Amino acid sequence: MQPLIEMKNIVKIYPNGVVANNGVDFSVIKGEIHALVGENGAGKTTLMKILYGMEQPTSGEIVVDGRKVKFHSSHDAIAQKIGMVHQNFMLVPSFTVAENIVLGNEPVKRNKLIDREQVLKTAKQLSEQFGLFIYPEAIVDSINVGMRQRVEILKTLYRQAEILILDEPTSVLTPQETKDLFQAIHKLVDQGKTVIFITHKLREVKEISDRVTVMRNGRVMGTVMTKDVTREQMARMMVGRDVFLKVNKPKMKRGKMCMQVKNISYVSDTGRQMLKNVSFNLYGGEILGIAGVEGNGQTELVEVITGLREAASGEVIVDGKNVVNHTPREVRMKGVAHIPEDRLTNGVAVDSTIDENLIVDRYFQRPFKNGLFINYKIVEKKCGELIKEFSILTPSGKLPVKALSGGNMQKVVVARELSSNPYVLIAAQPTRGIDIGATEFVQDKIVENRTNGTAVLLVSADLAEVMSLSDRIITLYEGQVTGVFPDAAKVTEEELGCYMLGVKHQTPEEMEQYL
Amino acid sequence: MKKILSSKGFRELLRIVVVLAAGLILGFIITLIVSKEPIEAYKALLTGPLSRLNRIGDWLEESITLILAGLAISIVFNAKQWYIGVEGQMILGALVSGVVALYIPIPPFWRILLAFTGGMLVGFLWAVVPALLKAYLNASELVTSLMLNTVALKIFEYFLKNFIMPEKARYVSSFTIPPEYRMSSFVPNWPFLQSIRELWMKQTSVTWIVYLVILSVIVVYLLLYKTSFGYELRTMGSNPKFAMYGGINIKRTMILSMTISGIFAGLAGVHLTLGIHNKIIMGMTSGLGFEGIIVSILAYNNPLGVPFTGLLYGYLKAGADVMERTTDVPRELVSVIQAIVMLLITAERLLPAIQKVIAERKEKSNNRTKVGKKGEPNVT
Repeated sequence: MQPLIEMKNIVKIYPNGVVANNGVDFSVIKGEIHALVGENGAGKTTLMKILYGMEQPTSGEIVVDGRKVKFHSSHDAIAQKIGMVHQNFMLVPSFTVAENIVLGNEPVKRNKLIDREQVLKTAKQLSEQFGLFIYPEAIVDSINVGMRQRVEILKTLYRQAEILILDEPTSVLTPQETKDLFQAIHKLVDQGKTVIFITHKLREVKEISDRVTVMRNGRVMGTVMTKDVTREQMARMMVGRDVFLKVNKPKMKRGKMCMQVKNISYVSDTGRQMLKNVSFNLYGGEILGIAGVEGNGQTELVEVITGLREAASGEVIVDGKNVVNHTPREVRMKGVAHIPEDRLTNGVAVDSTIDENLIVDRYFQRPFKNGLFINYKIVEKKCGELIKEFSILTPSGKLPVKALSGGNMQKVVVARELSSNPYVLIAAQPTRGIDIGATEFVQDKIVENRTNGTAVLLVSADLAEVMSLSDRIITLYEGQVTGVFPDAAKVTEEELGCYMLGVKHQTPEEMEQYL
Repeated sequence: MKKILSSKGFRELLRIVVVLAAGLILGFIITLIVSKEPIEAYKALLTGPLSRLNRIGDWLEESITLILAGLAISIVFNAKQWYIGVEGQMILGALVSGVVALYIPIPPFWRILLAFTGGMLVGFLWAVVPALLKAYLNASELVTSLMLNTVALKIFEYFLKNFIMPEKARYVSSFTIPPEYRMSSFVPNWPFLQSIRELWMKQTSVTWIVYLVILSVIVVYLLLYKTSFGYELRTMGSNPKFAMYGGINIKRTMILSMTISGIFAGLAGVHLTLGIHNKIIMGMTSGLGFEGIIVSILAYNNPLGVPFTGLLYGYLKAGADVMERTTDVPRELVSVIQAIVMLLITAERLLPAIQKVIAERKEKSNNRTKVGKKGEPNVT
């Protein structure tokens, strides 16, 4: 059968050198629901942004309906009847639902003013035709996430889209909303539309798609009929690794229990339960890795432990004292250091100097503080030592952090957190977005601390990193611990993948003795 | 290091001067259009404030208010709190210090001391409400502080009209404060300075608050750049999420930044009553609190720069007065020139950002062509 869309040998290299797509072939048949799966950073969103004209490929070609096309912007893609619903909705919150749907191509009266009646009528008509329920007159600000998504879909349909790209549409939905969405998608296909569905939830792939393309590391690992593959097979395709980083790691000497996480639950501002009764213990001299696809509660867990978020229930016991819902400073004073997952949000203040960034957890203590004043001579001296020890590439500590590269910025964070001689180290995505040299440096430092007796909790979206650094691994899926593996060296990525993606579960009894 | 710092400061000064010159040239073109005697008018604007001793005095007195208001703003703006309640704090500071100076029956020294304390304290307290609203309910301090300005002005008016104003007064104002309860001349009462002191006192009322202003500049500088509180404040201003993650108490820092700033706003109010007007009088702040924002921004919110920009801005205002009084150019024109200067300075401050964007674009396209030619990924 002639494919409706063909993307041939797509290569996308970003200006900073990141290779997002590396020779991708991808095709879609008219009238199918095609799932595109892969871990975060596998290149699915980039591929779809190329198809939607938002990004230009470095090389490769796109064929729509047998004709070779070149998209300079999403306008060109819309002209080819391609529509995309983004993960973060792009609606005008102060406009009504109907106004948002027609925005950019509003029906007008003869006097060139907007025909408001026609706007409402159009919105209602579209909504009924495709079975996507909305309140046309409601202000977008006041409607829930599910309806916002339907508005986004209707927006693309209003622009005559025949091919709809949905970027992780279920990540913001409740189970009931997800069910409704799936029904709507089926209805769309019944009316001749084609849907590309980006996700990393394998259960959904099985439930809704006809065919599935699996991506990993910027490449396509295969396209298959969904009914011909099991979830286990898909998980293996998604997480299987080509190369393993070798980390020089001395044998573990497990020390005493340093931190106890007991039955932590967390509910987000929007009312979603992000963590359900998470429990585990951290021991000195051991790295406990958390494996999981991003968005399954890792961020929330780390921020609850470090005092940045308020847990709904549960305890975090450090050195015999419960510190849950204490201030970040109180947690830090108990010896908990934290490498945050997003250094630009939490880890550094880019406009402040390197020195000022290095002292944020200790400026109020001797020898830095003397009476009311900070002794900047001592700050300069001590920070100079840290800059040297952690080989931060800068002529002076008086430069603003924004003058540094990503890797060196991360070294600033690591230098600060590790030089506090932590009792417990919480390292979230410690090597994200930094070059190989800096990655090795940071990993070595973390291992060095663990060998010297620090208890380490490692969270990483990079499964290879989790597997090579950790001594013990737990998997997190939808805010719950689904498995624990007491010896990280004896577990395969396929097996971890099954637990990370919710295909398999261990029972609480099985897990108890190893947590 | 010192050399670099001084040269950097010099560069900044040069920038401001160039921008100012550009604004003045544009202003001159407008003057050419509206005035029959443009040369005279511009001469009055540019040299007027220095032409007589009393005009020098007027310039300095106004500049003192502007510098104090600018210092207050520099504190909150370094914390990236968009607090603009200085106007209200000033008027209440003026009211309280005036009431103390007029009515509290204690000896002059203590009375003046109490007037200062009262004026500064009311400035401090007035910021408490918007600060708490921001810290605990995340209410925009921009809105609350702006609205509280009106409240402060009306409170001032109420007390002035109903309790302070003498019954048969021709103006809405209090009695004049007796000389011994005001601040005296900034020239010390020493025998060998006697003639200078008399000359200044006859023609101006520049008081010893000058020294307090110099002290304030140093205090604010030390507070922001040398104390641990200043570190917390600037870190919060730089990235509040980082500050919180690092263990800084954001709420406390937020509240203190606004209230401490209020002390200097209150001080500016004290200067208005005990230094300039010598009485409580309607509309005595006349928007000077807002002009403190301009003074601070011109100085890149650096307290050490505030006295210079305050004097510069004050000079422009004083020149405007002279121009209005002696020529046919209305003072509104000076507002136009001020606006042009502000516009140019904002544009000049945006310039580096624009240059950066352009440079990034260039780099991007360069990279693209490089990659295209080589045909293979350049991994960094």
